[in-house]
Amino acid sequence: MTTFVKASLACALGLALGLWASRAILAYGAPFGVVDIGPWRVAVTAGSLEADPYTRAELERSGEIPLALGEGLQLVARVDDAGRLLNPHCTYRVGPRTPAARYWTLSLVDRNGFPIENAAGRYGFRSSEILREGDGAFSIFVSASAHWGNWLPIGAVRPFLLVLRLYDSPLSATAGGIEKSSAPSIERVGCA
Amino acid sequence: MRLGERLASAVAYLAVVLIVAALVHLIVILVIPLVATRDAYARLAGLGPVGATIALQRPSPSETRLPFGDPALASAFCRYDLSNGPIRVKAPVGRAGFASLSFHTKRGAVLYALTDRAATHGLMEAVVATPAQMRDFVAHDDEDNPSQDLRIVSPTNQGFVLMRAFSELPSLYDAAQEQTEGLSCAPEPLPR
Repeated sequence: MTTFVKASLACALGLALGLWASRAILAYGAPFGVVDIGPWRVAVTAGSLEADPYTRAELERSGEIPLALGEGLQLVARVDDAGRLLNPHCTYRVGPRTPAARYWTLSLVDRNGFPIENAAGRYGFRSSEILREGDGAFSIFVSASAHWGNWLPIGAVRPFLLVLRLYDSPLSATAGGIEKSSAPSIERVGCA
Repeated sequence: MRLGERLASAVAYLAVVLIVAALVHLIVILVIPLVATRDAYARLAGLGPVGATIALQRPSPSETRLPFGDPALASAFCRYDLSNGPIRVKAPVGRAGFASLSFHTKRGAVLYALTDRAATHGLMEAVVATPAQMRDFVAHDDEDNPSQDLRIVSPTNQGFVLMRAFSELPSLYDAAQEQTEGLSCAPEPLPR
């Protein structure tokens, strides 16, 4: 009898642990099918028929429509260059270059992937609209208070992600081939 | 009980917990795509009937239907159901900017994608068919005058086509939106 009780308890514990682990992995991103390029993370198979079960489950759960491999590449950052979580009290400088692409955009979203309301009504920048230096280098400043240059506002004090999308990029099919040095850096300039 | 026996039984129970946890986790990950009711297809299905071209709202803090949308891109979609026959998809290409067509199964996998670089006569065009319908097409192909159609095989009867159009500047968003509304997904007669 005690053996039966102990075995049931072990099964119940296993069930709880399994459910918790699944939830945690889907919430924080599976360590499978992704490539890290500096602070940026790419789900390499999201846009193909060969998506792994973790990537597939994550897409189904979030409801996101992924960019197809032939269309472009989506890079998501939840940390800065030093590996610290992006903090809404800090100012970040993103730049100065991106991997080759016909167009790219940088946008700021909350953990669920939705833009965060801000007074400026600005949720992202396009490669075709930003101010650049003479040599084509750029800096986008991500901060809560207004900043000179290309200012991407942090609308609320809550965790956020930065999303870089490369459209029509020759790198689309070979995410593993992106050089770390070609991805823009996310440098923490200071914190309030 | 001797200490050794107690230890052995503790290890056995721990093993049971871990094995059950691993099984539960595997099942959860594999079952999510089968039971997800809030996946992209389900979210799109609430917007209109199969075959209709429906514009998606521009991503903003108040538009929470689909996560990780790009505010610089306008998009429109149509759902398809091949059980009534194949479909022909046409999408106009604008004068400037990036545009793309992507084909998704009901379960969220990306079948295929093409961009405006692959357009002919100002149109991105493709025929979507089931494997059986595809055999029908091929059987009726004229060897001397081969079909110019791009044919895409869908392993599932249901899915959706998404058109994206990039706006180089905020003021060009409406034009991009208008361009995506030119998407059409019409029934394509099978050869007889």
